[in-house]
Amino acid sequence: MDILIQQFVNALSLGGTYALLALGLAMVFSVLGLINFAHGDLMTLTGYAMFFAIGAGLGLPLAIVLGIACATLAAVAMERVAFRPVRDANTATMLLTSLAVSTILHMLFQNLISARPRAIPVPSWMIGAVDVGGLAIGVIQLMSITATALLLIALSVFLRRSILGIAMRAAALDFPVTRLMGINANAVVATAFGLSGLLAGVAGVLWLAQRGSVDPLMGFLPVLKAFIAVVLGGLGSLAGAVVGGFALAFIEVFLRAFLPDGWLPFRESITLTLVIVLLLVRPEGLIGRRENVR
Amino acid sequence: MSPAPAGEATPVNTSSSARLVSWPPLAGSLLMLVPIAVVSLLVWQTAGAALQGTVTHYLVLTVAVLAFSAFTGNSGILSFGHAAFMGLAAHVTGVLTIPVAQKAIFLPDLPLWLAGLELHFLVAGAIAVVLVTIVGFLVGIPICRLGGASAAIATLGLLIIVYGVLVGARDFTRGSQALIGVPRTVDIPLALLFVAIALIVCRIFRDSLPGLELRAAREDEPAARAVGVDVHRRRLLAWTLSACIAAIAGVLLAHELGVYSPREFYFQITFAVLVMLIVGGMTSVSGAVAGAIVVTILIEVLRSVEESINTVWFDEPTVFGLTDIGLSLAILGVLFWRRNGLFEYREIEDFVLSPRKAPAGSLTATPERVARDGGLEVRDVTRMFGGLRAVDSASLSLKPGEIVGLIGPNGSGKTTLLGCISGALECDAGTIELDGADITGMPSHLIARRGVGRTFQNVRLFSNLSCQENVKTALAAGSTGSRPARMTERCLALLGELGIADYASRRAGTLAYGLQRRLEIARALALEPRYLLLDEPAAGMNESESDELLAILARLREVRGPGLLVVDHDLSLIMRLCDRVIVLNKGEVIAEGTPEDVQSDPVVIEAYLGRRRTAERATSWSTARE
Repeated sequence: MDILIQQFVNALSLGGTYALLALGLAMVFSVLGLINFAHGDLMTLTGYAMFFAIGAGLGLPLAIVLGIACATLAAVAMERVAFRPVRDANTATMLLTSLAVSTILHMLFQNLISARPRAIPVPSWMIGAVDVGGLAIGVIQLMSITATALLLIALSVFLRRSILGIAMRAAALDFPVTRLMGINANAVVATAFGLSGLLAGVAGVLWLAQRGSVDPLMGFLPVLKAFIAVVLGGLGSLAGAVVGGFALAFIEVFLRAFLPDGWLPFRESITLTLVIVLLLVRPEGLIGRRENVR
Repeated sequence: MSPAPAGEATPVNTSSSARLVSWPPLAGSLLMLVPIAVVSLLVWQTAGAALQGTVTHYLVLTVAVLAFSAFTGNSGILSFGHAAFMGLAAHVTGVLTIPVAQKAIFLPDLPLWLAGLELHFLVAGAIAVVLVTIVGFLVGIPICRLGGASAAIATLGLLIIVYGVLVGARDFTRGSQALIGVPRTVDIPLALLFVAIALIVCRIFRDSLPGLELRAAREDEPAARAVGVDVHRRRLLAWTLSACIAAIAGVLLAHELGVYSPREFYFQITFAVLVMLIVGGMTSVSGAVAGAIVVTILIEVLRSVEESINTVWFDEPTVFGLTDIGLSLAILGVLFWRRNGLFEYREIEDFVLSPRKAPAGSLTATPERVARDGGLEVRDVTRMFGGLRAVDSASLSLKPGEIVGLIGPNGSGKTTLLGCISGALECDAGTIELDGADITGMPSHLIARRGVGRTFQNVRLFSNLSCQENVKTALAAGSTGSRPARMTERCLALLGELGIADYASRRAGTLAYGLQRRLEIARALALEPRYLLLDEPAAGMNESESDELLAILARLREVRGPGLLVVDHDLSLIMRLCDRVIVLNKGEVIAEGTPEDVQSDPVVIEAYLGRRRTAERATSWSTARE
């Protein structure tokens, strides 16, 4: 029973990171139709910003704030420089553009910083575990769950209450019509990218807390997972992205915990096969929906 | 707009070989192939080993690009998964061809029957291709049910799955270590041969009827279904074909490299091939081949620049990835300049050859009249969207030869009801009967093939296909049983019937709005529908355009006589055209009868104008009939 709860906490913490990434991807996708391969590099950027901030003698809290701000600004800049010229182009063109941006960033990281991992010291109090009702739960996991929960609540308040937030949700449903309602398209797109950068930044901090180092390719794998999560939840649905992120993490964590040893090398493959089988049953994703054709 | 003058059916008296060369798929293939063959054979005869290696690798990658193009180009769904098929095939052929002595050292845990096996690479390659094609077909079943970006990401999943399996199956693949000792048997002529085969197969598939249906679905999936295209099945066909070509590319790559690990068939090659495909123009086979040339040359140039920088200016390699950065910048440059790639939607012969003149003279074909028996019966159909009853137990009937108007305020459920009848939407309750057969819940392409055509409120054409191809798709998919040879004639006859024969070879998306509406009707008529559902055919038309439309519909009734269900807000058009009018409000049928009866029905007036205005009686209603 204890091990079950322990794994539950693990899944919740991993799922939080996936959910934040997936939500950022879904925001950009629902507005522009762009599958952004450079999303992971925003995480990496957060890592390097923190690395240099700590190196410059700033404290960890300030480094975290700087790291997240850096990812947010970079996302907005990315849109302005690279994605605006191909806005309204087909999916493949936009995807390749993001791939090119991502490659350029990788190479810059490699040449200007280093191909090797750079350590980000995690304070010792974070490494331990706290006793919650007789269960030892990692401090990092607890922080990551709390951070995810707070961020998701704040975001849902923003999306429900503010004009820009409502415009974002409307744009996710139907961007052309939203533009007809007099909403400034550039503002919506910039907000989508800014938010996706913010979310990637926070996810980057959480990811770094687990790994303790940053390298040029750090963001690639988690964002790959986030892509899968987005589709699993239902492409184009913001809530779906969050649900998909948690669902994917639960499948992963529980397979890792309960799969027989001989099968462990195939864990990743089994996880994804399960996802594809789920999609076979529900092609529009866990909470996606079908729309009327006009 | 009258149809083009008939007559002058120019007899084509050319020899059969000349006709074969003027056949676009073959002509296009040859135009691409000849220069590639000349250059690579020249290199084979004269150049050193290094350049020969580069050219061989380029040729193998071209086969890979063609594999991606066979699926992605025609379906519009980006695939990341084909490298998985390449890797699978490469490892199968590897295990079958590595000399027995080397297997004993590097793959000691192989099952006995495999450990003692050492096949000729062509035999092993053939086995690998067959196996991988079967695997491709099976995994294609779930993937092809998804659409657009979801399918693309599912193929990404496939890539990761197969990579994981290859690394995990250590006994057969040495895990993440490289297979060693695979015979290196691929040279320029052999690679060239497979480029030629793959290119010709891809071109023939693209221009075949199933290929056309798939390209139509790429342009507009719901519209393709509405003319009878079985989208899943067509996708699966292209997917399986492309898996087969990818397997060939994998086998070639294996026997070109001789040493490789699963990582060779992961993201790097996927991205490299996608770059070639998209830079060249995703939907064009010639573009894919040209993209491979452009990208290969670019990579070679950048690589030598990078090397010379490192040797001239630094003692040891200092600058990394200049090739990648340069390539990425080049990609951005090309895409910012030409967002659909170098070739866009065109094939090579579209640049070189002049467009073939459509044969005239078949425009007089008289369409057959629709039989008068049977009818379309909609009974108590309900459709919910979340908590909203968009259609609330609505019933209606339509007989061949009859014109029924369906009107109602905005949001009253008219389009939803059409969606339910055509099978685009599932009904939550109620039944739909077509000539006595229950078609409730039947997928829309089957309903279309049973003779229910429809047009859409927001015109849905296959924008990047020609007008003729738009109609031809419906002829091919609707299984009205015409032979390919007669299709062009019938397309032109249908376009002529709607007065747009002059535009046969124009891209549909470039037509004026009113003509697009007509093309949509022509496309629906290609199904030889017994029932035709028209969703706001006059929307956005000016008075003269809607008068012309009225004349077209009247003639349609006279000549063909299908049952017409017309949704429109243009009440004057509805009142002049229809035998019977049905009024929907909030999903329910609130009135039905002759135009006169409906106009004076107080319930209808209230639904349109609200309670307070009812007494005032809007005058527009009485003037509508004049």
